[in-house]
Amino acid sequence: MLAKREQPLMHPSHLPLILLGTAITLYGLITALVGSWLSNQAMRGLITPGEYRSQLASFEQAAGLIAGILFFALFILCAVHSSGIVRVAFSIGALASLAPLLVSRAETLLFEVIGLPTMSAGSVLAGAVTTLVFALPLTILFILLASGRRIPKVIRWLSLLSILVVLAISIYPIYVTILAFLLKPGDPAVGRMIEISSQIIKLRFLLPGISFLLLSLISARYARTYALAQVDAIETA
Amino acid sequence: MRTRISGTKRLSTLTALFLISILILTSCSSPTPTAPPPAAGQAEHSTDIYEGLNLVVPNRYDPPIEMSSVTSVDATVKFLEGDDIHNNIWTRTYASLLGINLRYDWVVDASMYDQKLGLSVNSGDIPDMFVVDSAQFLTYYEAGLLADLTDAYEAEASDATRDILSQDPIAMKVATIDGKLLGIPLTDASVTSASVLWIRQDWLDRLGIPAPTSMADVLEISRRFTEEDPDGDGVDDTIGLAVTKDLFGAIASLQGFFNGYHAYPGIWFERDGSIVYGSVQPEMRDALLALQKMYADGQIDREFGVKDINQVTETISQGECGMEFGVWWNPYHPLNLSQANDPDAYWQAYAIPSIDETPAKSQYTSAIASFLVVREGYEHPEALIRMVNFWTDNIVRSQDDNVRNLFLGNLDNPDVVLYKYTPVVLWEPTAGIKTGRQLREALAKRDPTGLNREALWRYRIMQAYFEQGTKEAWVEVATNGPNGSVVILEDVLGDRGLMNRFYGMPTPAMAEKMPTLSTMESEMITKIIMGEPIDQFDRFVETWHQMGGAEITEEVNQWAASNP
Repeated sequence: MLAKREQPLMHPSHLPLILLGTAITLYGLITALVGSWLSNQAMRGLITPGEYRSQLASFEQAAGLIAGILFFALFILCAVHSSGIVRVAFSIGALASLAPLLVSRAETLLFEVIGLPTMSAGSVLAGAVTTLVFALPLTILFILLASGRRIPKVIRWLSLLSILVVLAISIYPIYVTILAFLLKPGDPAVGRMIEISSQIIKLRFLLPGISFLLLSLISARYARTYALAQVDAIETA
Repeated sequence: MRTRISGTKRLSTLTALFLISILILTSCSSPTPTAPPPAAGQAEHSTDIYEGLNLVVPNRYDPPIEMSSVTSVDATVKFLEGDDIHNNIWTRTYASLLGINLRYDWVVDASMYDQKLGLSVNSGDIPDMFVVDSAQFLTYYEAGLLADLTDAYEAEASDATRDILSQDPIAMKVATIDGKLLGIPLTDASVTSASVLWIRQDWLDRLGIPAPTSMADVLEISRRFTEEDPDGDGVDDTIGLAVTKDLFGAIASLQGFFNGYHAYPGIWFERDGSIVYGSVQPEMRDALLALQKMYADGQIDREFGVKDINQVTETISQGECGMEFGVWWNPYHPLNLSQANDPDAYWQAYAIPSIDETPAKSQYTSAIASFLVVREGYEHPEALIRMVNFWTDNIVRSQDDNVRNLFLGNLDNPDVVLYKYTPVVLWEPTAGIKTGRQLREALAKRDPTGLNREALWRYRIMQAYFEQGTKEAWVEVATNGPNGSVVILEDVLGDRGLMNRFYGMPTPAMAEKMPTLSTMESEMITKIIMGEPIDQFDRFVETWHQMGGAEITEEVNQWAASNP
């Protein structure tokens, strides 16, 4: 028998969550592919580092703007289609929509508008801020989902796993960069970590997007079972 | 319920715990080749640190021989605990593996070395092996103080030593006088002194300026960097070209600017069948006029005549300057500092553009500036060759991390640079170019297989730039990456370079008169840039010839005739 208090994440439809997962996944995929293609061109000397940077910045600005607006709309839509702690979770998660906007604008914002010192590590600091802007709201979102009593267990476990994934892919590249440039420059072990970090950084949007997709699929499936159980309960009554 | 443990059982438990403790302790403190070397007096017990190392060791003297030397240290020379200049990994290795007891009779600050050596030699206290500069080399040769190393070299030099010394075509020539090899030249890469044009690429992009293809473009870039607020701060605080009061050198030099006008100040080159001095050639005139105009228009710092490298470095780090003629390694310093205020700062290297259709050539000078020599009468001149072999075979050619950690230093003590303890340090002249090529190939394939440890680190740093967006890694990209400055050096080694044709010891007139002429030359250039009439140049040329330049030119041509 189903636990009475457990409810799916969305109602009546899971479409907003599916769209949110798909949008984040696609954004992660596209930015990773375009970034790889451009870096490949630059590493082969087909474009200069200057061209690489300006083309990447142009792409990130355009894609970030579209993605930021889209994510925000979908997070709000998810909040509208949910209730209780889930609604709170997606409302907080909406703050993560700022991250794509910040990807190519964080340096300007931090060092020109706010006037913070770069400490000769401007891109590292800007990258860290962008990552935190994305990771923190999502971490809180997943914590709320993992701790929601009315949320099905499997979704809570998946949310818990997502917390670890989001934190790992956010913190690891920052940690490696600090090691490589400040604490242990020249260390071969850190060199290998840079290799791993270069791959992990491509997953920073992709994996949370996949998490949302999985959550939506599990919750949608649960919703069907939940609806059938409710019908049974009504008929029995 | 508590149970009593029998005596045997307790013993077994204790034994197991003891063994586990030993295992843990040994795993935490396994000896590595990077462990600090033993202290003084332990040299004879220290040979185990070489065990397991793939070393090429020349014949050992048995019984060991004594070799006196002299050396200098500066503030950058740091020692591991228990070590000093008289007892360190190099002195112990020479003693243990080569059977050479190297003893320093005196050690002075680097700035005092020449003076102290002169005093020492004049008082008849000549070390068995020591380092001299070009002028001392000639002086001591003429005084008959230097041993002929020809036979020792032929008999003892290893393949690596011969190969490294042959990579610089003039290395052996310059160390050979009257057919005798009188010293081992301390090689380095000559081409590294060639000029490269560095421009703030982010400023070019911001203003929509294409890459320069001619000196006319350079002048236009300089103008726009001065007038169009390339840093976008709304303040008129930028200049086009950085110049120091010294005019020439590795940073903010004018050498490359002159080269763009086919003028080659300060070097000797062939023209119409004879050797001429670059600073008195007519091509200097146009370049000086262009610089004068730039100064008048505020594109060169109004106070450049009193600004040394440190002050110009400050200008660069403040983001007030967008262009400089320097050398290939400038991103490591001082251009890296410009990121302190602007994470987007990126300096791109360009080959020296030309003022006309003829490609410009970047001038450079031989890096052979000092020699290892042996005192005439020393019983073992071949000992120097063995020390050189040890260096070239094991340090220059070895990719073994353990060997490099033991003899060069390791990451645990980054300030301790062990090779500074020995005077026998020869670098492979083409190593930087080779490494740059390997790195570019590895990047293109995205496969670092085969790179040595140092190159692999550079690869990873560039990977961080391209794949992680770490802009601070631009320094490595701008030098060793695709389109980096090392690529330009390859072209300079090809047909885009002009090496100083005179690489011999200073001629008599040169030794006597060149310092005065050089001072005159610097004053002339500075004054003309700051607005004096260009006629000053013509007067300088005339005076230069009268005050000894003609005599020097004649001597240089005589030297060239015997050194084709």
